[in-house]
Amino acid sequence: MNTLVAQRKRNALGTIGRNWVLVFLALEFGYFAVLTRGFASLHIVQMILFYGTEVFLLATAELFVIITGGIDLSVGYVLGFATVISSKLMVVFASRGLSPLGAIVTSILITLCIGLIPGFVNGVLVAKLRVPPFIATFSMLGVCQGVSELLMQGIPAKNLPPLAGTIGNGHFLYIVPGSGISFMQRPDVARGVRVIEIIPNAVVFALIFIAIFAFILTKTRFGQHIYAIGGNIDAASRAGIDVKKHIIGVYMISSFFASLAGIIYVMKYITGKADAGAASLLDAIAAVVIGGASMFGGSGTVWRTILGCLVIATLETGLRMRGTPTFDKYILVGVILIFTVVIERFFPDFKR
Amino acid sequence: MPRPLMPHDTSTPFVQTNTGKLLGRHWALFFLLGMMVIFAFTGPGFFEVVNFQNIIHLATISILLAVAETFVIITGGIDLSVGFVMGLSSTLAARIMVTLGSTGMGEPLLIVLGTLAGLLVAFIPGFISGTLVARFKVPPFIATLGMWGICNGITLHLCDGFLPIAGLPSVLPRLGNGYLFYIHKGQSFTLFKKPDYIPDERVRELIRLVPFSFILIGAVVLVFWFILHKSRFGQHTYAIGGNLDAAIRAGIDVDRHLVKIYMLSSFLAGLAGVFNVFQTGIGNYTTFSSMYELFAVAAVVIGGASLLGGKGRIVGSMVGVLVLAVLKNGLAISGVQPFVRYIAVGVLLTFAVIIDQLFPDLF
Repeated sequence: MNTLVAQRKRNALGTIGRNWVLVFLALEFGYFAVLTRGFASLHIVQMILFYGTEVFLLATAELFVIITGGIDLSVGYVLGFATVISSKLMVVFASRGLSPLGAIVTSILITLCIGLIPGFVNGVLVAKLRVPPFIATFSMLGVCQGVSELLMQGIPAKNLPPLAGTIGNGHFLYIVPGSGISFMQRPDVARGVRVIEIIPNAVVFALIFIAIFAFILTKTRFGQHIYAIGGNIDAASRAGIDVKKHIIGVYMISSFFASLAGIIYVMKYITGKADAGAASLLDAIAAVVIGGASMFGGSGTVWRTILGCLVIATLETGLRMRGTPTFDKYILVGVILIFTVVIERFFPDFKR
Repeated sequence: MPRPLMPHDTSTPFVQTNTGKLLGRHWALFFLLGMMVIFAFTGPGFFEVVNFQNIIHLATISILLAVAETFVIITGGIDLSVGFVMGLSSTLAARIMVTLGSTGMGEPLLIVLGTLAGLLVAFIPGFISGTLVARFKVPPFIATLGMWGICNGITLHLCDGFLPIAGLPSVLPRLGNGYLFYIHKGQSFTLFKKPDYIPDERVRELIRLVPFSFILIGAVVLVFWFILHKSRFGQHTYAIGGNLDAAIRAGIDVDRHLVKIYMLSSFLAGLAGVFNVFQTGIGNYTTFSSMYELFAVAAVVIGGASLLGGKGRIVGSMVGVLVLAVLKNGLAISGVQPFVRYIAVGVLLTFAVIIDQLFPDLF
């Protein structure tokens, strides 16, 4: 009887332990909601998502690599590289007489293709030439930075089609209370009429891709193989998995997501620059680790990584709304990061 | 059966010959010499004593950080916080000097106090990350990444956002950029100070030799070379990186040793930060795009260390720093765009590791 109670207690504790990030996120949100007026509103929640979009994507990129036991330091500068390429291409295509939408779509597609190259090179270096991921991706960071600065020549791209900003800062759904709804396009209403905006386009795009890759990671053979490689690389290769091919694939996914983040950056801020993602590396890795992935590989899920991202994004928006200096964020992210790993050391059974 | 990602299974006959071994072992040195020969032709004024002096003077911070990183990497860890610990020390030292200066304290005293504060504060992040790594088994990458964020946040507080701290005693940059010998050709020779009859704007006419930074570099490199290669502390460091289990069985107090290593690394970063105040005359925060820690790791790896631990030498790391510093200086003098340097470093670094893996058992 006693043991049953103890077990039940342990189960309850275990549930909290497994989901402590969720609990932490709720407490964090509650804290800001109580202290800041107007924090608990649809608008602010959407703002958190909107400003966090790049980190969602970079963290997903990092997650795939971390599951295999590697690390990708280049994501931030691949993001920068993608912003430079896509903004340049948009300007060029628009000036060649392509329609704004055509120019935007074409440049996005080309950027996504070019964005696979850094990942491919990283993957080949890591898998075939046995360069440690830290070194290979740091080298790629330098190469991406150099190439994008060369392309940029010190001048951020200008004269982008205005449509890019309209799409990037627009919302998926607009509701005008009492008169109707419209998708993707801001309804023409008189000034002063309240329009409820639901889900920024940038977030919709990001979530679609994240959902697809979450599916690939959990439901496909490719995803299972990635976990297997991270868990025990020798066993994986003995089991007949083509480890090299999978690792190249993972680094390509990583740089694909980083380029996607770059494109969203361009659509949001209507500019492209080499160091656009320089400060995001800490956030991306921290989000993955806060989400419970192990740096040694073999564990981590997209869902928890997103929770990790939300912890950071809520913190950033909350601090900004309270008027505290935004660099307090770095301290708190650092503390939470260390705290996460220490918690998991103390309660090893809580891990998946 | 393929065994991917595992070294030690490629070797070609050439690398087993004596020439091959020599080239492989000292490839970074040969590369450095080759680069210098090329730049001597492409860059006017590259092959001059004054330029070499400049290269080393400007690389002081990289040298200190590379020494720090060498110790950590030999234990199989990594310290990502060095760049931001440096910023913390730099801004704290400057902030204290400015604050004490406004109370009317004498310059020598406030410089000493500021320097001490900058050096001492650096022990704290090292102690915390060392404790996390050793006692709480937090991966070094995470522990020091956490300190990266924390130090950066505190630094930005100290300098009110993104404003370098100015208003320091003007004697600082003179100390940090001073030289041991000043020679005015055919006319005068002075020690420590430029002759008074030469105004600041004509200082280029002088031949200035041996910057004070050389003394700092020399002392640090010598002391830490001795610690790493000649003392028991150094032997234990290699033992921990080479085989952790064996080190524990041999009775080494690994936890304590690791805390010391991270404190040592952090202290050297603090020293670099304080030197930075002396060199620039202001308290600088560390920007995200400066990536001091990554370049320090790069230098150490070019110098022949392995991120898996157990391998690495102080002299090798110095060669690594010089490779990066000469590359930067030479490309600039040859009129190549600065951005090309990033690409060159990236290519070089990958090259370093691939070569290193062709010669697995030489170090």
